[in-house]
Formats: sequence, structure tokens, C-alpha cells
Amino acid sequence: MSGKQTEAVQDMAGVVGRSGDRAGNHMGDHAGDQTREHILVCLSSAPSNAKIIRTAARMAQAYQGTLTALFVETPEFASAGTEDHDRLQANTRLAQELGAVTEHVAGDDIAFRIAEFSRLNGVTKIVVGRSNVASRRFPGRRALTDRLIAFAPNTEIYIIPDSLTDSDYRVRKKRSGKPMFSLLDTVKSIISLVMATSLSLLFYRWGLSDANIITVYILGVLITSVVTDHMVYGVLASVASVFIFNYLFTYPRYTLLAYDIGYPMTFLVMLLASLLTGTLAARMKNLAYQSARSAYRTKILLDTNQSLQHAAGREAIVHATADQLSKLTGRDVEIYLPENCDLEQLLSGEDSDERLCCPIRLGGVLYGVAAIDVKGNPVDAFENGILMSILGECALAMENEKNAREKEDAAVLAQNEQLRANLLRTISHDLRTPLTSISGNASNLMTNGKDFDETTKQQLYTDIYDDSMWLINLVENLLSVTRMEGEGVKLHRDAELMDEVIAEALRHIDRRRSEHTIAVQNENELLLVQMDARLIVQVIINLVNNAIKYTQQGSAITISVREENHMAVVCVADDGPGIPDGMKPQIFDLFYTGEHPVTDGRRSMGLGLALCKSIVTAHGGAITVADAEPHGAVFTFTLPIKEVQLHE
Amino acid sequence: MNKFLVLVIEDDAPVRNLITTTLKTHDYRYLTAENGENAILQVTSHNPDVILLDLGLPDMDGVEVIKKIRSWSNTPIIVISARSEDTDKIDALDAGADDYLTKPFSVEELLARLRVTQRHFAIMKQEKDNDAIFENGDLKIDYAAGCAWLAGAELHLTPIEYKLLCLLSKNMGKVLTHTYITQQIWGSSWENDVASLRVFMATLRKKLESGPAGKQYIQTHIGIGYRMLRVE
Repeated sequence: MSGKQTEAVQDMAGVVGRSGDRAGNHMGDHAGDQTREHILVCLSSAPSNAKIIRTAARMAQAYQGTLTALFVETPEFASAGTEDHDRLQANTRLAQELGAVTEHVAGDDIAFRIAEFSRLNGVTKIVVGRSNVASRRFPGRRALTDRLIAFAPNTEIYIIPDSLTDSDYRVRKKRSGKPMFSLLDTVKSIISLVMATSLSLLFYRWGLSDANIITVYILGVLITSVVTDHMVYGVLASVASVFIFNYLFTYPRYTLLAYDIGYPMTFLVMLLASLLTGTLAARMKNLAYQSARSAYRTKILLDTNQSLQHAAGREAIVHATADQLSKLTGRDVEIYLPENCDLEQLLSGEDSDERLCCPIRLGGVLYGVAAIDVKGNPVDAFENGILMSILGECALAMENEKNAREKEDAAVLAQNEQLRANLLRTISHDLRTPLTSISGNASNLMTNGKDFDETTKQQLYTDIYDDSMWLINLVENLLSVTRMEGEGVKLHRDAELMDEVIAEALRHIDRRRSEHTIAVQNENELLLVQMDARLIVQVIINLVNNAIKYTQQGSAITISVREENHMAVVCVADDGPGIPDGMKPQIFDLFYTGEHPVTDGRRSMGLGLALCKSIVTAHGGAITVADAEPHGAVFTFTLPIKEVQLHE
Repeated sequence: MNKFLVLVIEDDAPVRNLITTTLKTHDYRYLTAENGENAILQVTSHNPDVILLDLGLPDMDGVEVIKKIRSWSNTPIIVISARSEDTDKIDALDAGADDYLTKPFSVEELLARLRVTQRHFAIMKQEKDNDAIFENGDLKIDYAAGCAWLAGAELHLTPIEYKLLCLLSKNMGKVLTHTYITQQIWGSSWENDVASLRVFMATLRKKLESGPAGKQYIQTHIGIGYRMLRVE
């Protein structure tokens, strides 16, 4: 990922993080937000919306800005047909493919919601299509763009002309909508009218005034509007109330005539009052319904967000997402990851009736595909909205996880780089000394060999040999280091007999071993340990060589092996001066050489013990240092035991 | 004068010098080759008694050289490799090499390996006609009877141990890789077989080497395999 892209994605993540007040997603600095373009495109179910989304995406690319696609769910949309929902879903998917972050808000007033969202999220440019603007049902109302400008005066608004005629689309929308009349609603309306009429008749008998009766009818209309699903019942009930009132309670009664001059006025006022209350009640009901849904939605998203934040690693994120999705939809959910199958193919293989495939995508990177088992029971618009949001959250979490992992990798890399640099510096410094001694001694022997007496010569030979052996040992350790680095924790493990490994290690011990007594104690000669033999041999060589190096001549070195809790415990103990407590914590650190008074000028690079530690750790064991009784040091390391089934 | 003819295939001049100087001081006759092509030419024209082969040759892979030579000759081959990966040595041994040396090696080690090969060579010639009975130090195996004796006393071996002993004895002096042994004994080389091999080899060795003399018959090559040593 190039620097610019990373920044953009971080920015986007930051923006989304703020939009829902979701903590934890916050990353990158927002100082640059104002200078960076943030483009908002309005999603709709209109067929022409795709063109608008593409235009916005091109714009975002040209400005190198971030793109957010917003869908405002109006109460009317809930009653729209499945075709509209499908189109909306297709448009949402298109927006995601083009790198947009999709967001979903609910509200009655589209312009206000868009403006509100833009202000909260620092949107600099809004792209709308003309079809969004059209508001034919309320010609008196100002156009969406005008209202948008009024609500968000600081935002640039781009209007994309719509070549498709909208009229036939509107017709289809009506036809495909929910049925206007239902038996249940009709019965409910009639019952409330009958009740109102009965109460009115009662009032009439008691001689109460017309005003009371009119109020009862308005109440009836109000109840009708509340209990029925469609506004048309409220309207019909209002009209019917006026006629019934006219028929039953105005003189002459039982006719649709009215003698009093005041009555037409009364009818008109009554009609208007009941219409208005009915509409208001219906709208309130819708609002309540919507806010309930939005609360539910917020709760689910919050839950998802929380479980995603607790999820450590990609697997956990996928599990949390799948859990939430199946909880939400009550259906089987499968999530495919890029390494398991061809995601593009999965997406392009159109959704069947059985399965709905949704991409988990952010900023043009496809992280996975969620396949939902729909089985003839399609996901409705509301569920779909939440679904998209959850998938968006999931993509964001995956993105964050990926970024975190990359950062971690980079940190490890930097640390390795640092180690390498240290290593090179130390080596180039420490190699010079033995090489000087070897080449100097050899050159002396070549030129003045005849003049040296036999003991001097022998001393020179010994020095050359010792220094070259030191170099050989160093190279072995370095090779082990590269082996550890190159293969990481992927060791070449085999079951090995601890006995054989120790014997092999002792064959490579320092020439000075003859000056010390080395003993091996092993309780179980057939102790098998799963290990990379070459590396463990190196550990034992280093420990024993250390013991030889730092103890006086004639000291006793004991290598013992025992079994404890399914671990092989190997101890290398000496009876030398021991290690001061102050040095113990750092003794396994790389390049730690201590303030050790080196007995006879023997060098140390602080490589051996650090290597031992990393080797043992990579094997799943531990290495420790302790004091021996009465004096001396004990190095103990553990390795997991291999239980073996003998093949006879 | 040692009649043994050694072919030294090594592209690095100082190491070649080291080897030839060592051979000269110990009365071996020797030939040298700097690359694989030349080496194969030398083998065909001089038929040396033992070949010291460096695996890192400039013109061809050392394993290729072994395969070419093995296609017509059984001359013992000792592989010399810079210690990088065990797999190089294992590949070479599986391709038909008899033994290996790891750089840096000491002069004594080189001479010891040569002596082992030399003895092995001598025994191979001698025992051509008498291969029903195997004898090595105190160890005696009667392949026909399926019995083994150590210093006159019959060894009580499990079937697998006996199979291992026969395999090692028939390839005395040669390093056998784990893969080769498990394939010969179990017909497969699963991870578990290798673990079993370690255990059986340890018990077999205990039976062979527990005697009062305590001579070493089986040599372990960590990460590589096992070899039966010639015991005087």
C-alpha cells in the first residue's frame, strides 16, 4: 500500500469512527481533514443512481479524497417494493466496490439528514442526482437542493442531471408497493366509526351540543389513523365522518342536506381538523416505529462494534461478525476469506434465491464475502441496511487488524535491522582481534621460523589454533542465529535421544575440556525429545564452553538430564565462582558481556547465551540460571518430551 | 609406500593444498580435480580407490557428480561440505556417498575417515565369497541362521533390532541416513518411525556395547543417520 493510500484509508477510518461515535477506530490525525476532500453521494433506489455514484467516485479519485455513500431511509421507503430494495442493494454494493464507505440514516426529511450528516462528518462536497430532487407530490415544497443549500451553506453541492425519465419508475413504485387496502384495516376503521357513531347517538339523546359530537368523530379518525397501516384510512374516515355527521345529526336528519347556513362551514372545518389530526397521528406513529427501529439498529451495531473490538486477530473478527449476522437475520451465515476461495468469482456468480453474497469491502480492498442462506425468505430493506453496516464494521475491523499487523511486522523488522546492525558492528570489531593474532603469528613463523626455539613455536601454533577454533565457534553461533532468523519458529524438529545429543555436543567442546572434569548423569537413557538437534547441540556446547571459560582449571562440570511434568530438564552445573546476582537478569540479553573480569583474556561477544535462550524458547522450553551449592552456577533448560508409539 | 590412490575434487586451492599436503605426508598417492567434469574424467581414466568430493563445485552440483560416478563405479566417496544444512549431506548420502566430512574439519578427522574407508574397502574385497557369516570384532552374525553373537554369547534381539543390525553390518563403514534405514526396516519414513528408530538403535547399541570391553560398534550422526564402525 502506498503512503498516500494508507493515509486516505486511515482518514476514512477516522471519519467513519467519528460518525457513529464509535471509540477505538480512531486513527490518523485529523488535522488534515479540512484540506482533504470528503465527498458524499446520496444512495437511492432509483435506477439512475448508479451513474451518480460513478460520477462521485470519479470525483473522489480526481480529488484524491474519501467517498461516503449515504442512504436516508424515509418512512415511504419501507412500503416500497422488493424491486426497489434490490436496486438499492445493487447501488450500495456498487458504491462499496468503488471504494465508498456506506452509511445509513433514517429520517423523514432527506435534505436535513444529508446536511446533518455532512456537518458532523466534515463532508466538503455533496453529489446528488436530479431524481432525488424531484418532489412531485408536494409541488409547493422547496426542491431538495434548495433545502440542502439552506441547511448546509458551506458545502459544495453537485447536481448530476438525470437522463432517465422518472415518471414510469414512479408508477412502478406505486404498483409494486404494499396493498393499500386490507381487510383487517377496513374492519378496524369501520369499528372505530361505528363506536364513534354510537357514542354520538348517546350524546345526542342526552342533548349535548354538536361540538361534542364533532369532537367524538375527530377522536374516531385519530384512532383509525393510529391503528391502521395506511394513511388512506384516516382520510376516508374523515370524509365518512363528515357524511355520517351530516346524515344523522343535522337537520333534516337522515338526509344529506343541511338547512343551517353554518353547517357547510362546520363540515369543512371538521373535515380539515380530522384530516390533519389523522395525518399527524399517522406520521407520529411512523416516527415512533422508525425510532424504535433505529434504536434497535444502534444497539445491534454497538454490540457488533464491541464484540469486534474484543476480537483479537482476523479469525476472531470473522467469528464475531458471523455471530452477529446470524443473530440478526436468524439464518445461516458463512464468511469466505480470500485465501480459501476466489471471492470475485463468488460475487460475480449472481445471488441465487438460496444465498445472498455480500462483499466485506473497504477502500477497494476486498477482505471477504459473507454468504447468507436466504432460502426463499429474502432479507428486507431494514435488515439489509443493518447487514451492510455490520459488514462495513467488519471490513473496518479487518482493515485495522491488518494495519496493526503490518505495523507490528514493521516494528519487528526494524528491531531485526537493529540487531543485525549491532551484530555486524560487534563482529567486525571482535573478529579483528583473533584474525590479527592468527595472521601475525603465522607471518612470524613464516619469516622468522628458524630463529624461534621449540617452546616459542609451540606457543605460536597453539595461539593460532585456539584463535581459529574461537572463530569456528563464533561462526557456528552466527549460523544458528541466521537459522533462527531465517526459519523463524519453523524449526526442523525430530525426535532425538537426549543422550545422543549430549554426546554429540561433547565432541565439539573446547580443547580445554581436558583441564576440567565433565560428567553426564541421565536417569532415562531412552528420553526422546522433539527438537532441532543441531540447535540444541549448539545450546549445550555454549553452556559447557561457558562453564569451561569462566571457571578455574580442574573444576567439575556436570550435565544432568531428568524428566519433570512432560518436560526434559537439562542442567549444566559447575563449581566455579558463580554469577553475581546483579548480572543474572541481563545474562541472556544479546551482546551483554557483563563486567566480568575475564580470567585469561578470553573474549565474549554476548552472543552465546542470548542464542541459547532464543533456541530454547523457540522449542517451547525455558532457560534459567541459578546458584549451585556451595558455589558455582547452574544453567537449566527445559524441552517438551516426545511420547513415542514404538513401531515393532 | 601406501598404494592407496585418492582423488581430491575441490575447487578451493588452499583447502586442496591442505588435503594434498596431508595426503603426501601420510604416503597416499593422490590426483586432483577442480571441477565436476574434470573429476568424472579422472575417475574414468585412473579408477581411484577413494574419492574426496567437495559438494560446492563451480560447474555442477556435487550430488550430480555422485550419481554419475555411481552409474558405473562403486568407489567409496567421502563428501566434504561446508556446514550449512544437513539436507545437503543427506542428499549426498542417499545419492550413494559413503561418508561425509564437515568444514572446518581437522587433519586427524580426515585421516581417520580415510582409514575407515580403506579398511572397509579391504574387507569388501576379502569377504566377497564368504558373505553368509559376518564378523566384526567380537560381533558375529550368521545371516542364514538369523542369529547374532557377541564374544561367543548369543545376543537376544527383537526382530527390529536384528533387522537393524543386519542392515548396518551389510553396509559397514557407510553412513546410512534415517530415511534410508526407516524405508528399509518399515517401508516408510513417517515421523514416528524416526522416533522409533532412535529408541531401537539405542537399545541395540546398549546390547552391543554393554560388554566388558565396551567397544563402540554403532556411531550416531546427529541429524543424519547411523554407521557401523569396524572394530579391531
